[in-house]
Amino acid sequence: MFGRLLLGLVRGSRGRLLVALVALTSAGAVLSVLANIDLDVEKKLTQQFRTLGANLVIAPARASQSGPLGGVLDAGGTSAAEEASGAASPELMSESIANELERNRAPEIAALSPYLYVVARAHRDRPVVVVGAWLDQMPRLNPSWKVEGNWVERRDDVARCLIGRDVARNFQLPAGGEVTLSWQGRSANLTVAGIVEAGGAEDSQIFVNLPVAQTLIAQPGEIELVQLSVTGTEKQMAAITAGLAATHGNLEVRPIRQIAQAEGQLLGRIRLLILLMVLLILVLTLLCLLATMAALAIERRADVGLMKALGGSISRIVAIFLAEAGLLGAAGGVAGYVLGFGLTYWMGRQVFHASVSPRWEVFPFTVAVMIAAALAGAYPLRWLGKVKPAEILRGE
Amino acid sequence: MFARLVGESFIRNPHRKLLTAAALAAGMAVTTACLMMALDVGDRLAREFRSLGANLLVTSQSDTLALEIGGVDYRPVDEGAYLKEADLGKLKTIFWRHNIIGFTPFLDVPVQVHLDPSLTPTSVLASSVTPAVMPSTLVGTWYEHAVPVPDGTKFETGLRLTHPWWAIRGRWFSDGAHECVVGAALAKSFPGGISPGATLRVQLANGGSPAAAQEIPLLVTGIVTTGDVGDNSIVAPLALAQELSGHPGQFRQLFVSALTKPEDAFSQRNPATMSQKEFDRWFCSPYISSIGHQIQQMLPDTEARPIRRVAETEGRVLSRVSSLLWLVTLAALIGAGLAVAATAATTVLDRRSEVGLMKALGAPNSLVAGIFLAEQVLLAWIGGAVGFLVGAVLARLLGEKIFGTAAELRPVLFPVVLTIAALVAVVGSLIPLRHATHFDPAAILRGE
Repeated sequence: MFGRLLLGLVRGSRGRLLVALVALTSAGAVLSVLANIDLDVEKKLTQQFRTLGANLVIAPARASQSGPLGGVLDAGGTSAAEEASGAASPELMSESIANELERNRAPEIAALSPYLYVVARAHRDRPVVVVGAWLDQMPRLNPSWKVEGNWVERRDDVARCLIGRDVARNFQLPAGGEVTLSWQGRSANLTVAGIVEAGGAEDSQIFVNLPVAQTLIAQPGEIELVQLSVTGTEKQMAAITAGLAATHGNLEVRPIRQIAQAEGQLLGRIRLLILLMVLLILVLTLLCLLATMAALAIERRADVGLMKALGGSISRIVAIFLAEAGLLGAAGGVAGYVLGFGLTYWMGRQVFHASVSPRWEVFPFTVAVMIAAALAGAYPLRWLGKVKPAEILRGE
Repeated sequence: MFARLVGESFIRNPHRKLLTAAALAAGMAVTTACLMMALDVGDRLAREFRSLGANLLVTSQSDTLALEIGGVDYRPVDEGAYLKEADLGKLKTIFWRHNIIGFTPFLDVPVQVHLDPSLTPTSVLASSVTPAVMPSTLVGTWYEHAVPVPDGTKFETGLRLTHPWWAIRGRWFSDGAHECVVGAALAKSFPGGISPGATLRVQLANGGSPAAAQEIPLLVTGIVTTGDVGDNSIVAPLALAQELSGHPGQFRQLFVSALTKPEDAFSQRNPATMSQKEFDRWFCSPYISSIGHQIQQMLPDTEARPIRRVAETEGRVLSRVSSLLWLVTLAALIGAGLAVAATAATTVLDRRSEVGLMKALGAPNSLVAGIFLAEQVLLAWIGGAVGFLVGAVLARLLGEKIFGTAAELRPVLFPVVLTIAALVAVVGSLIPLRHATHFDPAAILRGE
């Protein structure tokens, strides 16, 4: 009987219910889109921030100040470029640390590369900073670099290098040109694969694969530091830093402050901004929903009058209407979530050019909120207890 | 007659009208707040992004290749080209001068440094430590420095603005004093460590010039943690570094922090290939490339280039966040539309008998619709005006909460919001109105 009544009610006023259902569905869609975005925005934005490049450095804990490896001086060099000769060489560490990190790479680590800096001579004996690294990792470690020519795709490619654009200009080296690097009698011949524009120190450096630099200074298997680009919030970063510091006791793990601090600060602001705006809209949407449901409840007055006249108890009547409202809420929630799912996907493509992964936990949340809102909207039904059947049936 | 009908309806049934107006006001308040935030967020976030520090680097064009590793330039002091400190005030005379938040010159000098036990208070002197001579780099720069601008004013700038992440324990050196701050890693590597209050003696490292013999005493006022070049250096006033290196009034690098507009397809074009009109548009937009171009014009023989990782990230995040906010604003509009449509629908349903009477008396559908729409638009303006005020207050509060300063009030938005409100109200009432005009007057008047 209860079920039949309910079915009859739903069938009887299809038009009116459709309006309410549309309202509930749109509200559910807005709700689930906003919840999805709010949950995902931090992750997506930290990924955007990775254009900043490396944000963690692992290096030996330094006991003393150091100059560049081998000094600016080379074997036969008697030029004025001796200022760093007083400096101790930097401490080196084993390349195996980078390999090990690469092997058990945590998903948060977007890219990593070992680094070895050498001041070598090139092109008419002029000193230049040569950086040994894993060149295949460079596009991901430094997404902001603009490269004219090609990247070097393999880390065992010992014949090609990348050069900074100041190097290219100073040495008049085009992409595809040849450069010879020498250090204390040893030398390496390389082809320029691409010219890097970074707007910093990188513009005046030459990037070679790690083995080239190691062979040049006869320090096989040694590196100076490892740079990592880690995605994640400040908290996750701190956890990763602590984890790395624990496993590499004799090494120092330090965040690059400029990036870590600014990133955290900016993310906090953006997150708060979006959260507050989302809250505002949620309040508005729920208000609108309440209004719709209340209107629906008022509409139902005539039905109530009839039921009462036929002898229905008020609690039973209210139960029927609440069941109807709940059903509507659930239907609106499910439909809204499905609609929101599509919208979230579309928005992710539009805004982040990557799909925002809609979360499953948003589904029960959306449905629950919609049911709650529908029931709350049916709250005015309580007044139905006072309805006098005779008045209503008379049409007053 | 028309006006009287509309007016009467307001007087006779103020409650119903109040409800619709309130729904509109709520919707418009949220829309206004979202619009104001979305319009403002670019400027505000751009300002926030300055916490990333400088986004332009100015160097000499005729410079030799820098030997920079980990931020320290290992070139000898007598090699390479320098820039003139006296020209810096001109930076505040370019077209986009107000977008230049700050700039800081740097001059790196390789030095030998040792602790001076006779000038160091015993409280900060580690006992039984033999003073060691350490090689290091003295970075000459400004923390807070008033630069005279050609128009007669002064511009306060320095590390505080371009390197805000440099954290100090103790205090910064004062400009012009024989003071310095020491990088945290360097301070630790001294035998016994260095604390604020100690005095260091620095000397130009193995240079050939006669000035090299000169030793300068420097009072350590603080320990600085930078996470980059500064950690292994001594940071001191620029004038000291100039004196030490024998390059008075000169520096090597200039970091500029400027408010910019995110790069787009237009700004990436080569200015040399633009037509005159396009060039003017490019020149008058605060793109990082056009600001760099203007700096180059002002400081001859220099090269200003964007620090790409900062500029790129800023552009990417800014454009993502603002498109996200526009979508959120759209969601607010949809929400407002729903609220209005819902109330409008109930209004029309509620007034069925009125519609029936009007139709029975011979009113054409267009008149009935006209009366309802006129009412809705009137309500929309009232609700929109109230909503605009509430939304403006809301935007101020939000701006203060998020960015610390209130959002700019934009009166331009007022007509925009009123138009949106009227549109939303009319569109929201159209469907129920279609229903209303299809009512059969006889049935309604009979009470069915």
